[in-house]
Amino acid sequence: MAILILRRLVQMALIIVVASFLLFLIFDTDAFKKKTAIAELGGFGVSSLSEADYQKWLDEKGLNVPFYQRYGKWLGDVATGDLGRSYEKSTAVGPLLLDRLKNTGILAFWVFALMIPLSLVTGVLAGMREGSAQDRTLSFIAVFTTSIPEIATAILLTVIFALGLGWLPAKSAMIGGFNWRQLVLPVLTLVIYDFGYVARMTRASMAEVMTSQYIRTAVLKGLPFRHVIVKHALRNALIAPFTIIVLQLNWLLSGVVVVEVFFEYDGFGKLLLEAALFGDIYVVQACTLVAVVIAVLSQIISDVGYTILNPRIRFA
Amino acid sequence: MSKNDRQHPLVEKMREQLADGRCGRREFLRNVTLLGVAAPAAYAMAGSILGKSLVPAALAQEGAKKGGTLRVAMQVQKMDDPATYSWIQMSNQTRHVAEYLTLTDAENITHPLLAESWEPNDDLTEWTFKLRQGVKWHNGDDFVADHVKWNVERWLDPALGSSNAGLSTFSAMVEDSDDTKKMIDGAVEVVDPHTIVFKLSKPVLSVPEDLYNYPTMILHPSFKPPFSDNPVGTGAYTLAELQVGQVCKLKRATQTTDGKPFTYWGDEPYLDEIHYYHFDADNQLTAFASGDVDTIYEFSIEQLPLAEALPGQVLEVRTAQTLCCRMQVDKPPFDDLRVRQAIVKACDNAAMPALVFQGRGDIGENHHVAPVHPEYYQLPKLERDVEGAKKLLEEAGKAGLEVTIDIGNTDGPWHQAVAEIMRDQLKDAGIRLNINVMPASKYWEIWTQTPFGGTAWTHRPLGTQVLSLAYRTGGAWNESHYDNPKFNEALDKAEAEVDVEKRRELMQPVEKILQDDAVMVQPIWRPVFTIINDTVQDYVAHPTEVHQFNKVWLSA
Repeated sequence: MAILILRRLVQMALIIVVASFLLFLIFDTDAFKKKTAIAELGGFGVSSLSEADYQKWLDEKGLNVPFYQRYGKWLGDVATGDLGRSYEKSTAVGPLLLDRLKNTGILAFWVFALMIPLSLVTGVLAGMREGSAQDRTLSFIAVFTTSIPEIATAILLTVIFALGLGWLPAKSAMIGGFNWRQLVLPVLTLVIYDFGYVARMTRASMAEVMTSQYIRTAVLKGLPFRHVIVKHALRNALIAPFTIIVLQLNWLLSGVVVVEVFFEYDGFGKLLLEAALFGDIYVVQACTLVAVVIAVLSQIISDVGYTILNPRIRFA
Repeated sequence: MSKNDRQHPLVEKMREQLADGRCGRREFLRNVTLLGVAAPAAYAMAGSILGKSLVPAALAQEGAKKGGTLRVAMQVQKMDDPATYSWIQMSNQTRHVAEYLTLTDAENITHPLLAESWEPNDDLTEWTFKLRQGVKWHNGDDFVADHVKWNVERWLDPALGSSNAGLSTFSAMVEDSDDTKKMIDGAVEVVDPHTIVFKLSKPVLSVPEDLYNYPTMILHPSFKPPFSDNPVGTGAYTLAELQVGQVCKLKRATQTTDGKPFTYWGDEPYLDEIHYYHFDADNQLTAFASGDVDTIYEFSIEQLPLAEALPGQVLEVRTAQTLCCRMQVDKPPFDDLRVRQAIVKACDNAAMPALVFQGRGDIGENHHVAPVHPEYYQLPKLERDVEGAKKLLEEAGKAGLEVTIDIGNTDGPWHQAVAEIMRDQLKDAGIRLNINVMPASKYWEIWTQTPFGGTAWTHRPLGTQVLSLAYRTGGAWNESHYDNPKFNEALDKAEAEVDVEKRRELMQPVEKILQDDAVMVQPIWRPVFTIINDTVQDYVAHPTEVHQFNKVWLSA
């Protein structure tokens, strides 16, 4: 187990080094420097500079330093916990990122708190009796909600609950401080999209378990159905959904971009998009760092959890 | 200009014209203030000539109440260096902290601000600005002419990259030397602590207007970017909090940076605080609908039905903001005048307002002077001529022409809508138009290079300002590479003429030459929209979307 974790961590370090190197390489091109200049000075501003003056400007902004030097410096700074400064927001990246991660964390917590019980119950209920009316109804709902992209759900919910009924605020910018009512629509949007997928997976896993011989034996020896489900089927049926749920962490990191941007919720996804559009290299780098760490960590958790839950793997 | 000072000889002429009805009230005000008459004096002058009181709306406030916080939805951006600002939004965040020498209002009339008055010499090459006395910086220093000089020199430092350097006023203060532009010695002269003279290498009409270009805020010489770390200005407000992408809070300045009492030089404003909350363009109206804010920066035409359904007041402003689908006259196939003329003839500008702006906005006439400009000369209406276009193409041997236009939607998706309508219109003349849509930032990389592109040009108060920047040979932003000595000459004449009626006559050849040379399809002048709720009073929407909140107040 320790070897497995160690291997994953080494993998993570490698991915980070390669990904950040590539990003620096891309951002070092003339095209990206120009993009930064335009973002800073505007199209009219840049075109009133002569070539020599443009180079002087790049020098002053520290953009003409060869990229391997900038990269080396960045690696050293990151090792000491300094993630650099944002061009667009003119602040240190570290605190900015922490703040945004905290916001996305709150969002993610509520998404998981609602999505996990909802999708597991739905999946189990549907998979219990494969092909029954109950299964068909629940499966239809699950497929239906998953098929609607988040952006469509977000618009629909806003039109109904915010603009139409006026029950909830349309945006989640939290301009007067934290407000749980503003959290409802983004959480709902993510839950509606994601629960169907996890429910489908749970259903498949449950249905498979239900056809196995030990369940048939349990049923045939006359155990109450409820007992069969709770004592025998559930534990095995939930191994696969566990892995999937942990991997949803990864999905959430990219999935929140649309939702956060739409609802103006200041989280990680919005930060990433803004930085990418602006060409804000240190923010993009820091976000990549976080994304890689979360991807690898969730993989480790799911691997470890899987081994613990499934004795066959543990002892193999 | 005080009473004892010499009055510009043209002021007297303007008075005669107003008396004879040869020029309107608005033109009179705009032009005499341009010539250095202070706005209240100008209004009084007009009032005495026309025999009625013409107190401007901004001065007539009854029952205005002090106090409260105005909440505005806008993109909240960084406030690094006001001289290199590239967005109006940043300037709005800074506008009530640092101030300009002049102020151009929503009617395109330029008023004194930090400058008390100004006076050009007769050929408009030397402008003397008297600065207001008793103005204090937020750090307690007195505002003096040397500070202005420091700012102008800074704008003209080529490595700074300030877009101010491209404006007519400031480009007439620099000379070329070894691939870089240098300020001419003595171009800015400090006469005494409250008098400064700008000496220009050619006549410029728009000096007061250029001094309200949004990156021309006057900063204290101790300034070091970012401005937000050390926000020293002369304004009525100070920066209380800035979180880029989230919030920018301004509150009334009552203390200097070292804790002494601070009194603003002008009338005390009504609002205690101004809060900008970050909402992207598409989300501002929804934020308003939810009651999160009192007003917004702007909403787009697609959102007009929603805005009209909301409680509050929709404000619409006619502007000189436009999209120029300009062709580079030195790049094939556009180097052939007949090709350009064919494209222009096949397009139907008159159809655009209905299709793009629900019948709003003014029809463009392919010469980049707008009906809202004082010197706008009305040429005969443009008629669409598909047959004529086909004939021209045949003559040029270019039947079945296929061209591609680059569109960056830099001012919103309506650019693309315009291009798509053009595509359908051009099809009738057998011209195939491909539309190459790209991200806005990408467009700004290629805007001066693309042979055929749709560039957004902002509103400027005078018609000659853009022409000088965009179509004069060697103009800072001459994206079409247009080079016609006759045009330059005609424009020079118009720019040297302060008398608005004469200038309008002189604009006839300017507009005609540009239109005949078919440099661009410039289909529409767009309106801008914003909305206020019922508590916001005396809010005036500005054609360049700048915020002037010193007179705004909130009813309970």
